[in-house]
Amino acid sequence: MERPSALQRLRAALFASPLDGLITVVLLAALLAGGQALLHWLVFKAQWAVIQVNSTLFAVGRYPLDQQWRLWLLTTLLAGATGLSWGLLRALPRPDRRAVLWPTNDRLAVALLSGLGVLVPLVLQLSAAIALRWWLITALVLACRWLAGRWGAALPAIARRGWPLIWPLLYLLGMTLIAGGFGVPAVSPYRWGGLLLTLIEACFAILLCFPLGVLLALGRRSSLPLLRWLSVLYIEFIRGAPLITLLFLGQNILGLLLPGGFTPDRVWRAAWVLTFFAAAYVAEAVRSGLVALPPGQMEAARALGLPVYQAMLKVVLPQALRVALPAMVGQFINLLQDTTLLSLIGLFELLGTARAVMANPAFIGKDAEVYLVLAVLFWCCCAALGLGSRALETRLNTNPQPA
Amino acid sequence: MAPPVTPWWRNRRLIPWLVQAAVGLLVLVLVAFLVGNLVRNLAAAGLLLTWRWIGNPAGFDIAGSWLPFSAEQPYWWALLAGLVNTLRVVVIGLIGASIVGTAVGVASFSGNALLRGLARVYVELIRNIPLLLQLVFWYFVVFLALPGGANAIQWPGLVLAQSGLYLGMPELVNGVWQAPIRLSVEFAALLTGLIVYISAFISEVVRGGIASVPKGQWEAARSLGFTPLQTLRRVVLPQALPVIVPGLNNQYISLAKSSSLAIACGYADLYSVAETTLNQTGRAVEVMVILLGAYLAIDLVISALMNGRNLAVQLRSR
Amino acid sequence: MTDRDLMIEARGVEKWYPNGYHALRGVDLNVYRGEVVVIMGPSGSGKSTFIRTFNALEDFQGGEIVVDGMALSDDVRNIDAIRREVGMVFQQFNLFPHLTVLENLCLAPVLVRKREKAEVEREALELLERVNIREQAHKYPGQLSGGQQQRVAIARSLCMEPRVMLFDEPTSALDPEMVQEVLEVMQELAREGMTMVVVTHEVRFARQVASRVVLMAEGEVVEIAPPEQFFSAPQHERTKQFLSQIA
Repeated sequence: MERPSALQRLRAALFASPLDGLITVVLLAALLAGGQALLHWLVFKAQWAVIQVNSTLFAVGRYPLDQQWRLWLLTTLLAGATGLSWGLLRALPRPDRRAVLWPTNDRLAVALLSGLGVLVPLVLQLSAAIALRWWLITALVLACRWLAGRWGAALPAIARRGWPLIWPLLYLLGMTLIAGGFGVPAVSPYRWGGLLLTLIEACFAILLCFPLGVLLALGRRSSLPLLRWLSVLYIEFIRGAPLITLLFLGQNILGLLLPGGFTPDRVWRAAWVLTFFAAAYVAEAVRSGLVALPPGQMEAARALGLPVYQAMLKVVLPQALRVALPAMVGQFINLLQDTTLLSLIGLFELLGTARAVMANPAFIGKDAEVYLVLAVLFWCCCAALGLGSRALETRLNTNPQPA
Repeated sequence: MAPPVTPWWRNRRLIPWLVQAAVGLLVLVLVAFLVGNLVRNLAAAGLLLTWRWIGNPAGFDIAGSWLPFSAEQPYWWALLAGLVNTLRVVVIGLIGASIVGTAVGVASFSGNALLRGLARVYVELIRNIPLLLQLVFWYFVVFLALPGGANAIQWPGLVLAQSGLYLGMPELVNGVWQAPIRLSVEFAALLTGLIVYISAFISEVVRGGIASVPKGQWEAARSLGFTPLQTLRRVVLPQALPVIVPGLNNQYISLAKSSSLAIACGYADLYSVAETTLNQTGRAVEVMVILLGAYLAIDLVISALMNGRNLAVQLRSR
Repeated sequence: MTDRDLMIEARGVEKWYPNGYHALRGVDLNVYRGEVVVIMGPSGSGKSTFIRTFNALEDFQGGEIVVDGMALSDDVRNIDAIRREVGMVFQQFNLFPHLTVLENLCLAPVLVRKREKAEVEREALELLERVNIREQAHKYPGQLSGGQQQRVAIARSLCMEPRVMLFDEPTSALDPEMVQEVLEVMQELAREGMTMVVVTHEVRFARQVASRVVLMAEGEVVEIAPPEQFFSAPQHERTKQFLSQIA
């Protein structure tokens, strides 16, 4: 039986029955009409001046101009680290797999990244200096990726295993560069805004909610009643409360809970609330991973003489976290999206900056343009996180591959 | 020879108690510290816990309240009005999101490739854009931009105007629309945003539930002569329900909590009324207790209803 | 048989489950160095529970257990010390699926006995050679058959150089065609002089390899005898009843 032609396959997919045909026609008509209207608006009616004029505000808020080189430095370091990590991941395949160095989906990702890297400055009509830096940074990511891929296998074992430590180090370095300290002039959190603030809040919360969530999950599964009840209490309390009320609580009550009315900056109050909030959900994800584990694993580890903490660290948690990974990354994506709620308590992250910008009489009525750009930005970040998670899952999955 | 005495800190029967005692002590110390500071700071500001303020006149207005409300009404009436507003949007939102979500979830199993693709695109698009962003989009870009007066969008039985949504028999009287049922644009924007957002997640729950039903069920139904729609209704969905219900529960609770973002749409829900109350009275702790208690109660009611349904479904399947 | 050759000494072991069920009713057993003791009995007789008390996977409320001169007590350090010397092979293999076969073997010696990784890896590869799966060293357990996994499990326990090996129904979860390869490994182990306590239903294995066979029923030891006597001329009624059921 010969393979159906392309036309036949199209017919089967879209016009298999009269009802299907009708649905296809109606949907196509609607899509074409909507698409045409959208394109018409994008090309003719939309005015992008609001983005261009305020691009610095959207990117870094009111960060002092003469100190912004620190942010560029940080971005460069992050780009380099990302490129190198990417390349290393490809250069060091799993021992049981014979991997191609640059498989198709990897090349696709590179193409996408290059495309975006080239187009974005042009579409946003950024100034020549900024566009140049943007292109250089994209080129840096790709160059590091190629370098690490080509020569990563030759690295000594110590460098390979210690490599993930670069991220916490970069985080600390990043915070120093952004906030100041160690001889670098301080920049008050009051001046942080836009994408910078969004990323700071999200990264802080993501990094800290993970260990806290793991502890809570272990506590929830503990055989010690007190630990179990404390964990359940915490998790159910957080899960029952809308995030905005907790953020509000953090803003208003935290000062009352500390001696002498000492109040940390709004930025950190919000960051801690986000952390404690996400930890409860991460705990539930990790708990599902722990539940999925066969009971014999802990037994076997203990029977070999491993003390409890070693059994946890080397046997139980690695497996539980693998199972929990998709749900956990889902929580991280939610966390990134939840940073928008900070605009409701007076912080000027991306959405807050957008609302402030549109209050400017010069830009009234440009809501659609601004929200569209923000939506695209968030969508790209969240989709990228999702893809990264799926790639990580594939790498960690030790189940037999179907032949 | 008698076995050596086990030191207490290595004794595996004592260790659980030692750990719990240590943790318990730590928690107690922390709580005592925080509560102590709280009481001291409240006393210094003259705001010690009391409920007497709740009878004082509110001094602010609530637009679009179902309960009759004006500025002389007491705070507790204001909070109640806010709660009623929240419940309005939550109940209708749950129904709407379930319908749309189920439709999209079922569409992803359609034989029509275009329909399947659109369902996929819908879910992936909605899920990766923050809810708050979607809400402000619906409010500012769509609903507030509706034309007013005679230029309003007029469908049979429904008029979409800048002053609101009019259902029933809408008629234009002196340039002002009137109808038996009027929904404010704030309410409409919040409702639309919530329904669209949560339906994407509900569709995934439904999809997962349907996918969990073994393929053999579809084939058996086909061989018995059922149409795909009949198969879905009578064979697959009933079996998918036990898997769907817990996920649905989570999404319903998520919707109830997300309704608190109403403030971004200018809709006076419980949270926004509570925020105003707190700003006016400074009674942070009391207002927090009310807020958290109310949302917890809503979650518990939803869970109880869903679990009751779950029980009924499981009993029937026996 | 001197006292120094007494590997496991169990005296009057009593165990109640939390729901009140009396699982072990005063069980006595001595296992000497180099012996292969096979424990048989109907399901629910407490045989698995009993051998799991030897390495404290099950705790017990009455009696005493001494493993190679170390008395089992509530001391965490004491329990860990005993577990280092007692190897266990489970019915469900319980290999660590996120580690390769080689990593499975090397994990405990490196972490617990604090040995050099390279040296342990060399020994591990030799062990894998002995159980005939050297070529699977870099595969993950999920990619192996049941029989291969169980052999890896045996090698993993051996890598810790235990003085006693416990086997809890090692072949019960295997497809029939893979049972033999595992039994052969166990037979080889016995030939080399390892002290083994095996809970199993494999009569042929017991006949060929066991030094003594124990029948347990309802939480008690019914009969202990060398295999020739146990299978051909059992003394107790209960033993005869059991044998007739499995014949």
